[in-house]
Amino acid sequence: MRISLNWLKNYVNIDVSPEVLAEKLTNVGLEVESIDYLGKKYDKFLVGKILKVDKHPNADKLTVCKVDIGSEIIDIVCGAPNVAENKLVVVGLVGATIPRNQHDTDSKPFTLKRANIRGIESNGMICSEYELDLGEDKSGILILKDEKLKAGTKLSDYLGLNDVVFEIGITPNRPDCLSHLGIAREIAAIFHVKLKKPKIKIKESKELVTFAAKVYIDDIDKCPRYTARVLRNVKVEPSPQWLQNYLNAVGIRPINNIVDVTNYVLMEIGHPLHAFDYDRLKNNTIKVRTAKDGEHFVTLDGKGRELKEGILLICDDEKPVAIAGVMGGVNSEITETTKNILLESAYFLPQSIRRTSKLLGLSTDASQRFERGADPNITKYAINRAAELIQRLTNAKVLLGYIDIYPKPIQPKKIFLNTQKVNRTLGTNLTYYPIKNLLQKIDIKFLKRNKIGLWFEVPTFRPDLERDIDLIEEIARLYGYDNIEIKMRSPILFSEQANFRDFEDEIKNYFFGRGYDEIITNSLLSKEMASLSKDEYVEILNPISRDMATMRTSMLPSILSVIKNNIYHQSKNLNLFEIGKVYFKDSSVPRGPYTTPNYREEKRIILAKTGISECPHWSRDERESDIFDLKGEVEDLFVMLSLDKYKFISYTIDRTLTEMNLNIMYQNVEIGYIGKVKKEILELFDIEQDVYVSDINLDILKSFVNYKRKYVPLPLYPMVIRDLAFIVDKGISVEKLLETIKLSAGELLKDINLFDVYTGERIAPDKKSCAFTLQFQSEEKTLTDEEVTQVVENIIKVMNEKYNATLRK
Amino acid sequence: MLEKINEIKHQIEQDIVNIKNSNDLENFRVKYLSRKGIISELYDLIKSIPQDDRPSVGKAINELKIYCQQVFDNKKQEIENLSNIITEQIDLTLPGRRRWVGSLHPLTKTLKEIKFIFQKMGFDIADGPEIEEDYYNFEALNFPPEHPARDMQDTFFISDKILLRTHTSPVQIRVMERTTPPVRVIIPGRVYRNEAISARSYCLFHQVEGLYVDEGVTFSELKGTLVAFAKQFFGSNLKYRFRPSFFPFTEPSAEMDITCFLCNGKGCRVCKQTGWLEILGCGMVDPNVYKYVNYDAEKYTGYAFGMGIERITMLRYGIDDIRLLFDNDIRFLKQF
Repeated sequence: MRISLNWLKNYVNIDVSPEVLAEKLTNVGLEVESIDYLGKKYDKFLVGKILKVDKHPNADKLTVCKVDIGSEIIDIVCGAPNVAENKLVVVGLVGATIPRNQHDTDSKPFTLKRANIRGIESNGMICSEYELDLGEDKSGILILKDEKLKAGTKLSDYLGLNDVVFEIGITPNRPDCLSHLGIAREIAAIFHVKLKKPKIKIKESKELVTFAAKVYIDDIDKCPRYTARVLRNVKVEPSPQWLQNYLNAVGIRPINNIVDVTNYVLMEIGHPLHAFDYDRLKNNTIKVRTAKDGEHFVTLDGKGRELKEGILLICDDEKPVAIAGVMGGVNSEITETTKNILLESAYFLPQSIRRTSKLLGLSTDASQRFERGADPNITKYAINRAAELIQRLTNAKVLLGYIDIYPKPIQPKKIFLNTQKVNRTLGTNLTYYPIKNLLQKIDIKFLKRNKIGLWFEVPTFRPDLERDIDLIEEIARLYGYDNIEIKMRSPILFSEQANFRDFEDEIKNYFFGRGYDEIITNSLLSKEMASLSKDEYVEILNPISRDMATMRTSMLPSILSVIKNNIYHQSKNLNLFEIGKVYFKDSSVPRGPYTTPNYREEKRIILAKTGISECPHWSRDERESDIFDLKGEVEDLFVMLSLDKYKFISYTIDRTLTEMNLNIMYQNVEIGYIGKVKKEILELFDIEQDVYVSDINLDILKSFVNYKRKYVPLPLYPMVIRDLAFIVDKGISVEKLLETIKLSAGELLKDINLFDVYTGERIAPDKKSCAFTLQFQSEEKTLTDEEVTQVVENIIKVMNEKYNATLRK
Repeated sequence: MLEKINEIKHQIEQDIVNIKNSNDLENFRVKYLSRKGIISELYDLIKSIPQDDRPSVGKAINELKIYCQQVFDNKKQEIENLSNIITEQIDLTLPGRRRWVGSLHPLTKTLKEIKFIFQKMGFDIADGPEIEEDYYNFEALNFPPEHPARDMQDTFFISDKILLRTHTSPVQIRVMERTTPPVRVIIPGRVYRNEAISARSYCLFHQVEGLYVDEGVTFSELKGTLVAFAKQFFGSNLKYRFRPSFFPFTEPSAEMDITCFLCNGKGCRVCKQTGWLEILGCGMVDPNVYKYVNYDAEKYTGYAFGMGIERITMLRYGIDDIRLLFDNDIRFLKQF
């Protein structure tokens, strides 16, 4: 909200700089986001009077002017055709920044220096309208027509730009600060000075308002108070300059004197008012009632609006004339021909206004104040202030008295404050007196005290203060957060058994160490992408765009778009991973400490590899990545986690996005897959190289990890190693061979590794040779050659029986 | 005789220096150490000297032989080392056999450091869902229905009562529901805001929330904890301030600013000319919140705080566009 310094000075003495004031306001919770020095742009510009114009001795098109700038008379060289004696002009002094350079193609600003122009010293510049950024005329210097102007007047004063405006971020709990008087109250408290509220003087006519208008309220819950006055013989015209300057400074466009006064009072006192054209109110009656579904109404902005049940309306005897607390209607608007007006100053229930504003998608200065909570007990003061100003501006007749419907007056709250609780919460040592003094500064009334605490009465303009803790905040705020000393206890506290290992971090570090780059992507994506999953996806009711209308069901689409972008930037060899969540609708999920009913979130890791498999090196050939690169990564991950019951199943189940799939199983639970992204999917991302991915559910993986290890004694007896190469049919999988060897070898076989696969000239074309290294070891004794040979012969026998395998010599 | 031995020793000293290659080395060996070499000849001469002189001369010859063998061995080693290099011709300037070096995302790095500092101070780590109930995200955090404070956070809705959490604060409620005080946790996680994507805002970001509830926890201690954190994270000579603010679930509420480390508080584009950078929001847990989790508000007090990981990451690395963090261009990722 914009707050004008000049305006504030009407209510409180301020003798510190704007910067200091801004800091103090920020320190009590009114964050000054920026300071706007309205006149700063015209800092070194003065009104000057040209006394004499002489031809420049060395240049035909230039003149040398003697210009009176108030404090002195200076020489300025000027080239404008319209320069003439006795004219009032704008002079930029040395050091001034000319907003627009009319000789520069980009009109860039520049700073004036003292210049010697063809032998004559020039001590400033007479500016054009264009150069001053006050208009588009470049043809000559700006001649000021106002004859009363004195040479030496600051241009900013002449333009009414001598104000400083603070942009203050008012938090939603402080509706009382949405006005100059509200901010002035805080300033008065900060600097221990008096707040001067405007005193109101109205000359009332003899005509009684109660004869001139009638007000009825249907829904007293939604409209607890309605105050009205009637003014006759107003004259609608533009507001005087001072009023326009104030409104302009705070960013409100002046309209006419009546509307401007209601806006002025809104920005001054903080209470929204509305002015109706009295003669356009049928039977001079106001009725406050709720709307029916489908009612139609045209608001002041000219828009037709479909109303909904429950919206509070201000009506005359036959039709709605305003949406209560939000916006008036065209049908009762103040126009140039308006003669008589009815002023409304009401209090509406905050929740009702907020609901209306949401339903209509219409938020106004008035609605924002009402929904945060206006002061129900200020309606008379506000309406009187407006009546006084309108009378002063237009000589209007103010009818005698008010209409004021307020059947259940809202009383100020009384709050008891335990002194100990203040200190227990803040860590301070405050006693009665400072507490009382601090709160009294912001108009909180001290009532009485007893042994443990104090009673206070909170004014109705502070709807945010309801409980003792709220008063404690006020105390902390005014005492100054910076004045609360730091006192640390050091309790040693472990709420549960400490979790030393952060599984996710461990996995991240592992893949980072393996040469993978971690990425973090958006978890919102398009419905098309989310629906690639067979599970039910989660849709967003109010998405930003179609691309982000659902929660992701897989991280594959986003990692592919990352790959696409990187390839576009010539990074073609990529090893990427992301750890994140995927989201599903799932009616089997209950409400739980870590879950939201009917929604399932899974933590996953996705790995992707594309381009060549290893860093290029002069000693080795480059090789494109393949499925075994990723299979190896996953196998090693299991080794790292000391998990050995994993299995890969390669039956060709159909996946939407990948082919060549391997399902990763752990103890018969599927925890993920490895695969090659299908060509048609890659085409969607314009990727022309193969991409291999693996997707693993980390929640399930983690459940298998056992951090409680036991030491296993090292073997006592030596190991015997044998290499065996079998020739078998090409169609037999290595997995089957391994299984058979393990089964037929018995428990002496400790480990087996495939070290070579050969097909080619030296064996039959439909055969392959698979070579294994077998490690034998006994826990009881040193194995003899015969014992090992016996086992090996059994393996050869079984392999021959089962797969017709022969030993390769 | 002894003189002659000395003379030979001098000769050895001179000859050894002149050895440049294995040929010279062999010549040296033949000259002194072979069976027909000078030292062998000396032993032969022993017979020709008087009996009494023999022990001292013998000893001198032995010493000479040991000396000669030693300098020869040293020289031989030296020549061999040299020739190895020359004969095998290894170009050690060739690049080594390297692997690709991975990277952790800058957000991960920032979060790790934040977690590290708070874990040292005794905070546990807690977690909760991103698809959240209105109850946890707003209601139990003292945002009444139809309250303007809800407008502070633009929300993505899944259904009437289900939404994408707008902050990590709902996990405060979840943690308090399942534990009795003392509670001391930090809660890192992903949150969502329905805002147009620009250099300054993204539709999601990450927060770290903190919560400490116990008997006797004060605002003073909240300040102390956060100042300790900020000094560990940003450097011990930083200046800070706490200023009043508003969050429905804390009372009193504050925002913590630190002096802008880019301009040292003089005012720059990043701190919007104020000299201060806002780094987190905090406050004392509002007693209304305790009602929802059945804590005794007369017995317990507590504090809570929350900070944006993206914001802190952007500040410390000088990143001026939040979208860079989600573009995942590896030329960017590999810089951290």
